[in-house]
Amino acid sequence: MTGPSKWARMDWPLLINALALCAIGLLNVYSGTRVHGTPGTALVVKQLVWILLGVAGFFAVFLISDGFIEETANGFFLAVLLLLVVVLLAGKVRGGAQRWIAFGAFNFQPSEFAKIAVTLALARYLSSKYRYGGIGLKEFLPGIGFVLAPFLLVALQPDLGSAGVFLFILAGMAVVACVHWKVLAFFAAAGVGAVPVLWFFMKEYQRQRVLTFMNPELDPLGAGYHVIQSKIAVGSGGIIGKGYLQGTQGSLRFLPEQHTDFAFAVFSEEWGFLGSLLLLALFLLLVYRLFFLAAGSQDRFASVACGGIAVFFRTHMVINLAMVCGLFPVVGIPLPFVSYGGSSMLTGMMALGVAANLSRSRFTFQGSGGRGRGIDS
Amino acid sequence: MKSRIRKREQDPDITRRSRLLLYVAFGAFALLLGRLYWLQVVESERYRNLAENNRLRLRTVRAPRGLILDRKGRAIAETQGSFDLVCSPVDVMDLEAEIGLLAEIVEFDVDNNEVLDKIRTAKRTNPFSGITVARDLRFEQVSVIEFNRENLPGFSVLVAAKRSYPYGTAFAHVLGYVGEASPQELDQSKDDSLAMGDLVGKYGLERLMDDDLRGVNGGRKVEVDAAGRDQRLVEEVPSRSGGAVHTSLDADLQVTAQDALGNRAGAVIALAPRTGEVLAFFSGPAFDPNVFARGIRKAEWQALNTDPRKPMQNKGLQGTYAPGSTIKPFLAMAALEEKMQEREKLVFCPGSYRLGNRVFRCWREKGHGAVDMYRAIVQSCDVYFYTLGLKLGPDRVAKLEKDAGLGTITGIDLPGERKGLVPDAEWKRTVSKERWYDYESVLLGIGQGAVHLTPLEVSVGYAALATGGEVMGPRVVSKVIAKDGKVRVHAPKMLRKLPWTPENVEFIRKALAGVVNDYGTGGAAKLPGIVVGGKTGTAQVASVKGKMIKSEDLPYEIRDHAWFVAFAPVDDPQIVVAAMVEHGGHGGSAAAPIVKAVMQEFFRTRPVGPPRKEGA
Repeated sequence: MTGPSKWARMDWPLLINALALCAIGLLNVYSGTRVHGTPGTALVVKQLVWILLGVAGFFAVFLISDGFIEETANGFFLAVLLLLVVVLLAGKVRGGAQRWIAFGAFNFQPSEFAKIAVTLALARYLSSKYRYGGIGLKEFLPGIGFVLAPFLLVALQPDLGSAGVFLFILAGMAVVACVHWKVLAFFAAAGVGAVPVLWFFMKEYQRQRVLTFMNPELDPLGAGYHVIQSKIAVGSGGIIGKGYLQGTQGSLRFLPEQHTDFAFAVFSEEWGFLGSLLLLALFLLLVYRLFFLAAGSQDRFASVACGGIAVFFRTHMVINLAMVCGLFPVVGIPLPFVSYGGSSMLTGMMALGVAANLSRSRFTFQGSGGRGRGIDS
Repeated sequence: MKSRIRKREQDPDITRRSRLLLYVAFGAFALLLGRLYWLQVVESERYRNLAENNRLRLRTVRAPRGLILDRKGRAIAETQGSFDLVCSPVDVMDLEAEIGLLAEIVEFDVDNNEVLDKIRTAKRTNPFSGITVARDLRFEQVSVIEFNRENLPGFSVLVAAKRSYPYGTAFAHVLGYVGEASPQELDQSKDDSLAMGDLVGKYGLERLMDDDLRGVNGGRKVEVDAAGRDQRLVEEVPSRSGGAVHTSLDADLQVTAQDALGNRAGAVIALAPRTGEVLAFFSGPAFDPNVFARGIRKAEWQALNTDPRKPMQNKGLQGTYAPGSTIKPFLAMAALEEKMQEREKLVFCPGSYRLGNRVFRCWREKGHGAVDMYRAIVQSCDVYFYTLGLKLGPDRVAKLEKDAGLGTITGIDLPGERKGLVPDAEWKRTVSKERWYDYESVLLGIGQGAVHLTPLEVSVGYAALATGGEVMGPRVVSKVIAKDGKVRVHAPKMLRKLPWTPENVEFIRKALAGVVNDYGTGGAAKLPGIVVGGKTGTAQVASVKGKMIKSEDLPYEIRDHAWFVAFAPVDDPQIVVAAMVEHGGHGGSAAAPIVKAVMQEFFRTRPVGPPRKEGA
């Protein structure tokens, strides 16, 4: 088979979209880490290094030969599971949770990579079980196993937020991979039923977070503090914002985690509703593009994997934004490309690299090299 | 490779499912957009205010309280810098723990629970206020607090103004003291000029002149970070310091008065007779107003209030005492003005006086023999004045005494003045529904019985004798330089000009000079080169039956009150001094030396010219 070269089949809009978000993120890290007057240049440089590493990772994954990703999906999955076990045994404890592995001067979070690994392994399994009319319960159940293992390992750290993301990925991919409606409905019902059980197993601080999410004013200086201050930052931005570097909630340290999980609060305080609109549009475009690739791919594995990656990004974005806006309890989920953080940046870029790699198959059987037929094809 | 790729053109359901998920994403983003619209457009104003409240603190810049000065321009109440521990309730994280730490590292003076309650209340009602937790910290305390700063969010050390009284206890009752404005005072403050934690005058001149002394607070709008630390000054309105109150008091004289009274209870008052200016006004025992300025402790307050000698009472104008023999010149004056008795008329004093079946003793057991009015005053003969009291009757005596200012409110510009009592027949009828008895007139002659007066009233009365009938309203404040720079002069105020005959005045003065200089009872007040005229008084607290007992031998509480009131120089009086020692014994021995000491200090710096001829 001699199709167009890999570079000719590269999905540039995907990368440009992500880089636009990175640029916004970089500006925002500068604003978010400055402490009244003194700019946080150190973290900006670090984030820039992460972006460059991320882009390198993107191309490294993009250039992997056809089929290799699908073939190695299970091996990658097992390797990441091992890392998660290592984290539990020897990871760094920060803020009461064991989430990081020290890697020279950098710390990284295996749970981030686990999200891609789960997506790919699950995509491989589900696409192999594809059956017109819907995958049945018997075929679907082993797929749950792919999610359950990392879910439990991450939940033990404990990082309930990231663990929850696995469930969203599972649910999203079950939909894309055409699991039968009745099976989906069954699990949806079971999920709702599991909430009280989950509550029982939660740690005290996690319950507190949920409770204060329901009513932040319960404890305005304690557990409700994050939510209240974040809403104040967002709301006080108004329509046009306070202007770049003019925000007060971040630089005066009223916002917690102002350059990582609450980066959007800093951004929307300074850029207002219009800035939020722009950021939301860029995110929506990214998610749209990924679903477009999922729908348009000629390869079943590629479709399901791209769908999973789309769900991964959508979940992160929606949960993070909802949390900052006070619509979701405070969980440690970063905003892709915008929040400061290496693991998140690398994971995001490599996930896009996977999508770009897999989407090359769109052209394989088209011969003429015509672009994808769009989502309604 | 080719075999691995499964064509999926026959999988339209995957496309359909992907599209469905995209719609879900659309829905989620639409929801977020709606939320952002709500927060950033609809509710934006509210959140903007909340952000400003987060960021901005309005800090009161307290205006320094104005000075109180003595007649020579020396500060007797001033404002100094002090390191205060201040709490901003909203920024406190764990109140109990922080207070515990503070109590440990700065050995708190203030009752812990009191502070806790205050901060808790403010946290609810006024979280952005500043509450002073401790005043006037020592340097070591400040450094320990600064060292522990990270553990004490919401607490900071600020330089604040402290009220200071350089003469300590000497001016206690005149100046009074200041304290933090009470909730009622905050409520009543007109135009909201009082802020929480402001100092207001609670007593004495500090209270009376509070409006002038208190400055106008300024404000600083500062930006703070989440830990409540100041980051940047946004706006500042400077404070305006309070006005200055000039008094006629003389600090040297005041200190002399305090020292002369020593640790005895009583009052010493010095007036300038022609103007009514108060030169010294001491009441003992006194309190230290500096203790109030730094925040009085409960135990200290209790000790002051339970002391049987009443240190919080200004005895000069709140304590009333039988005037004893100091009343005699007024009876003499009344007799002369009413032409009831000639000066030359002799009365024989055998040592006692009998009225009906009652016997009234003269203080001199063996009697004075035949005495005229001059001798009777100089020797303070009781029998002479028994007969004079009986002859004049209560109403004539009362009229003259009240005219001279006795038994009346003098209107001094110090708070809390009380009125003594000069009895007359009308009073007797109203109070006890009985007629006036002759024996009461007899007692009237020696200042015993129902009559009781404040040392201030007696001073004013003697000033009237000194000036020949000019009754001047006593006043402490001579001039006020108000906050706006305007100067208000408090001019001398004459209450009455009595139509006393100059010859009679001249006679009384001469007789009083005799008390000190002509082998009289007041020899202890004699000054070299200056003719002092005065009168002793020994006021019985309890009547002792049987043999005369020396006052010094009686238990303290029933010992006589000792009086001495004098003016000098007699032919041109510049100063009137009254000394009253509670349970001090004899006026001549206990009180006269005090008057002498004060006069000596007064004339030390004021050379007395050649005697001026009266009426020349």
